[in-house]
Amino acid sequence: MDVSQYLEIFIDETKEHLQNLSDCIMTLEREPENMDTINEIFRAAHSLKGMAGTMGFKRMQHLTHDMENVFQEVRSGNKSVTSSLVDILFRCLDALDEYLENIQNTSDEGTDDNASIIQELNDILAGDGGADTAEKEAPQEPETLEEDKAAEEAGGLKEDALSQLADQERDAIRDAIESGQHVYGITAVVNEDCMLKAARAFLVFKAVEEFGNILVYKPSAQEVEDENFELEFAFYLATKEPLERAIEAAKGVSEIAEVTGREIRTEDLETKAAPEPEAAQDQKSAGEEPAGEKASEEKAAPPVPVKSEKTAPPAGKKQAANKPVTSRTVRVDIEKLDAVMNQVSELIIAKNSLVSISTTEGTNMQNQTFHEQIEYLERITTDLHESVMKVRMVPIESAVNKFPRMIRDLSKKLDKKMELYMTGEDTELDRTVVDQIGDPLQHLLRNSADHGLESAEIRKERGKPETGMIRLNAFQEGNNVIIEVSDDGGGIDTEAVKEKAIERGIISKEQSETMSQKEIIDLLFLPSFSMAKKITDVSGRGVGLDVVKSNIEALGGDVEVASVIGEGSKFTVRLPLTLAIIQALMVEVREEKYAIALGSIQKIEDISVNEIKYVQAEEVINIRGQVIPLIRLDRILDLEPMEEESENLTVVIVKKGEKLAGLVVDKLIGQQEIVIKPLGKYIDNNKLISGATILGDGEVALILDVNTLM
Amino acid sequence: MANIIVENETKQYIVVRLGDEQYGIDIRYIDNIVRMQKITGIPKIQPYFKGIINLRGEIVPVMSICTKMGLSEDELTNDSRIIILKIEEQGLIGIIVDEVKEVVTLSVDEIDKVAHDVKDEKANFINGVGKHDGELISLFDLNSVVSEKEVV
Repeated sequence: MDVSQYLEIFIDETKEHLQNLSDCIMTLEREPENMDTINEIFRAAHSLKGMAGTMGFKRMQHLTHDMENVFQEVRSGNKSVTSSLVDILFRCLDALDEYLENIQNTSDEGTDDNASIIQELNDILAGDGGADTAEKEAPQEPETLEEDKAAEEAGGLKEDALSQLADQERDAIRDAIESGQHVYGITAVVNEDCMLKAARAFLVFKAVEEFGNILVYKPSAQEVEDENFELEFAFYLATKEPLERAIEAAKGVSEIAEVTGREIRTEDLETKAAPEPEAAQDQKSAGEEPAGEKASEEKAAPPVPVKSEKTAPPAGKKQAANKPVTSRTVRVDIEKLDAVMNQVSELIIAKNSLVSISTTEGTNMQNQTFHEQIEYLERITTDLHESVMKVRMVPIESAVNKFPRMIRDLSKKLDKKMELYMTGEDTELDRTVVDQIGDPLQHLLRNSADHGLESAEIRKERGKPETGMIRLNAFQEGNNVIIEVSDDGGGIDTEAVKEKAIERGIISKEQSETMSQKEIIDLLFLPSFSMAKKITDVSGRGVGLDVVKSNIEALGGDVEVASVIGEGSKFTVRLPLTLAIIQALMVEVREEKYAIALGSIQKIEDISVNEIKYVQAEEVINIRGQVIPLIRLDRILDLEPMEEESENLTVVIVKKGEKLAGLVVDKLIGQQEIVIKPLGKYIDNNKLISGATILGDGEVALILDVNTLM
Repeated sequence: MANIIVENETKQYIVVRLGDEQYGIDIRYIDNIVRMQKITGIPKIQPYFKGIINLRGEIVPVMSICTKMGLSEDELTNDSRIIILKIEEQGLIGIIVDEVKEVVTLSVDEIDKVAHDVKDEKANFINGVGKHDGELISLFDLNSVVSEKEVV
């Protein structure tokens, strides 16, 4: 079977399952007794195994299979969850992650068998294997008798097959019956001269799985695969179709000599069901009627109430795992969305040019309706833009959900107690930003864990709780999304930073004396500045905050730090909500038009030249008690100076976090929706200009990057 | 088959004028030729970039090949054109020429390879000289024309 077309779906779903597993195992570590979680893990591992098997990723299948086995034991209460088990499970996840990454890159799972992990899993299983088989076999004796009879009648389903059902397999069968499906025990015999018994068996499995689920394999799927059976193999199938259909399907496979089967009733599974084997058989014949009728009958007269186990796993586990309850969604390739986005951009440019025509042409009656139509068009394009934007938005959850696990590992590795609190994971950002924000955030968290938090002893000395706290908080603010990473650790020792910077020759001693706290902290973002006293593999390899900064800037955002020594530090990452289309204020400086993102503008002031004061030879203005530095755009942008300066200046007050600055412009043009176009790879990005946009009249205007101006 | 052989042996060039000299640009790299239009300057960029233009809704950087080769400044006249080049993955780029003259077909034996002469900086941008109707045409090596290296 050619499965390559399913590869993408496989990768996506595997990612989901792995994340789910990771979350569950984290929960399990805290609440080892939580049955729901154990079941959830079992289901996820099982689905993973199934998917990997279908796709032909043997190693992955093998590993998940062993994981599943371990969980089977945990689920049936034969094995308790210990911290070493959790560790092994996490290593399994890492190994699976690696497989997945290989698959993603090369469509192949790679060659690492992860034998040591498998060995450890098996060791756990072997630990009390003997005890539990004995336990299982004991209560099954009476049933064996009944099965014998039934088997005879049904025509040879091997008695030992059914009787050897483990408790959970029994549960699975019971659940399937309760959910309105028929369960058939089917035995197939391959021809004696059959060369590829395993392949034939799999063809049979595949044939019947077209309309049902195989609940239990006897011998196990693994054994079948290894051709570890004589001529006969059996399985339990859950389906809504009649028995004949299943038998037909199995017989359709060549080199299959004989197929027999019978329906399994809940009574068959009850150990005390022995008194009425006849009744069971009667109902069995009823089961051979057409499916629809049978199903309704079964619903009308609910099957014998099952009071076997209090922790009955959720009904129809297979179905539940395959079809998670999600909202109705469609997976769309991001490229297609990009295309839609581009078209919307084009539309907005076209609209802008209509707007500019409508405002420049003369006035007559016809123009009135023209204006109205233009306004209508404007409304529609804005709405359309917003809808497309929303489609592209995804919660940052997918970028941050791996962090709890990471902090747990770091906690062990660094031997520090720490706890991660995350809020605002549902904050939404453009998909492309979410995809790329994970790494910088991970860096910041590692930084907090390694450099920020003190060791438990020091924390005790300082009168802080032993467990350090790291917070990740995301929220929306205007046109930006803010992600804060803070810790209650030691804070940044500015003196130490200063010394280090002098030592490295980044600043001179004289310089260091006049630097503000903030300027010193900003040194941390310079390339090759690592503060860790000892180099660990967590951080301190000299690639650190500078990479974080450049990554975030590449996304059009910026990062700031605030720190109080002894109390902790806070990194604030600011990201633009959108990448392609923004609302902007158009201004004019010396005949050239520039756009300033509306999101960063606080207010606009008219001031007289006399109001300009000087602080450390820098121009500032004082607006209602606030001292704001002035930035002369014409000077920064290398434009010709004005012949004579006017008495009044128009100042656009822009903000970047807490900081304000006043940009001096010649003229205001107005607000406009603009499409951001990159300058291309040829032009050396001086960062003052973040891009360009095309105005309604076809002219090009530059977009000022307020963050680098300040 | 015959066509392919012919193609292998001849190349088409657009002949442009820069100052008094004639240069050839391989036609395969030319996306478009547009009239001179308003170029929006960008502060603090490489001096040989004149700015950007709007080409059918795309932003295209425009470079002065004269400035880059260390020739005299462009004199913009009615004949000036911007040749839009499309070079592989790097996207579009425009270069300013004084005049576009004609399209010529040169066969391989009409092209002389030039040895790179370190002293003659201009030669770094040329990878051959073509002879056509008794005139010489310097053929641009477009990759070095658009690359970041500048003649000092």
